[in-house]
Amino acid sequence: VFLQRTFPVLVTIAIAAFGAAPFLIDGAPHESTMGLVQKIFYFHAPAGIMMFVAAFVCGTASGRYLFTGKASADRMAAAAAELTVLFGVIVLVTGPLWGRKSWGVWWQWDARLTTSLLLWMMFVACLLVRKYGGPASEKLAAAVALFGMANVPFVYVSVNVWRTVHPKTTVVPNLGPGMRGPFWFCVAAFLVLFLVLLALRVRLGEQQAELETLYLELDDQSSRL
Amino acid sequence: VNWRLALACCLAVWLGVPTEGRTQSSPAPSPRAVPQAGQGEFVPLSELPPEEQLPATPLVFIAYGLIWFAVLLYVVTIRRRQDAVQKELDGLKRQLRS
Repeated sequence: VFLQRTFPVLVTIAIAAFGAAPFLIDGAPHESTMGLVQKIFYFHAPAGIMMFVAAFVCGTASGRYLFTGKASADRMAAAAAELTVLFGVIVLVTGPLWGRKSWGVWWQWDARLTTSLLLWMMFVACLLVRKYGGPASEKLAAAVALFGMANVPFVYVSVNVWRTVHPKTTVVPNLGPGMRGPFWFCVAAFLVLFLVLLALRVRLGEQQAELETLYLELDDQSSRL
Repeated sequence: VNWRLALACCLAVWLGVPTEGRTQSSPAPSPRAVPQAGQGEFVPLSELPPEEQLPATPLVFIAYGLIWFAVLLYVVTIRRRQDAVQKELDGLKRQLRS
């Protein structure tokens, strides 16, 4: 309800933030060793954070659906699962474009990249189960989403625990003053975008639920006649 | 006596024959330890020959373009699904009223 009420405000903020973001990114200092290609960081890392947030929202809503059976929780889980896949695509596409220039390779089967890909695949599986799983597929998808959410901390700490080519989590707290502002601005912009897309997708779920109720009503009417 | 002799022989052989795991002194140089020509010499990105340099600008633009393409594509699919559901809803409501 909160998302639906604040939807126009959120859309306005998102448009304004993404309009201003390129100027802030352009004004941020160039990283000394990587140069221009490091600018991908300002969208790559916030998209990764949103992938984690979406996975967490999906897992929490799935847990709520499994234990309470509330249809609203299932709609939230379905919406967040789609957003995990969307932000995952952004992360998995922009990462190799950055890596090609700074590492010399498109892909490396190291801990961070592999666990991120696995996380993304788990949520793709969640959506596939929902679409083709048949009756009670929502519960099966909710269980898959819970495992997906459990994978998030492993993806996050993977760079600190295993040897990897990917930068460690200490990069963000140690950003230079000129980079910190644009980075957190982009995180905020991505968070607003996430909320806008979540509200849109939840609204679609509500319309689909309304449609199902009407079909049941129609069946009821025709059986009485 | 025989089994004691056999055991002593085995022990002598075991102590006398150097195996890979036990011999720590003077290990044979592994091929990996020998630096290859040109290895270990850091070449800054700016000093690479032009044919080996990869331009960053297209990569940055492709990355940003793909992000917007993915988000817009997702919004379009939601919009299309919403339109289809709304159309079906309107038809059903008409059917129920009649």
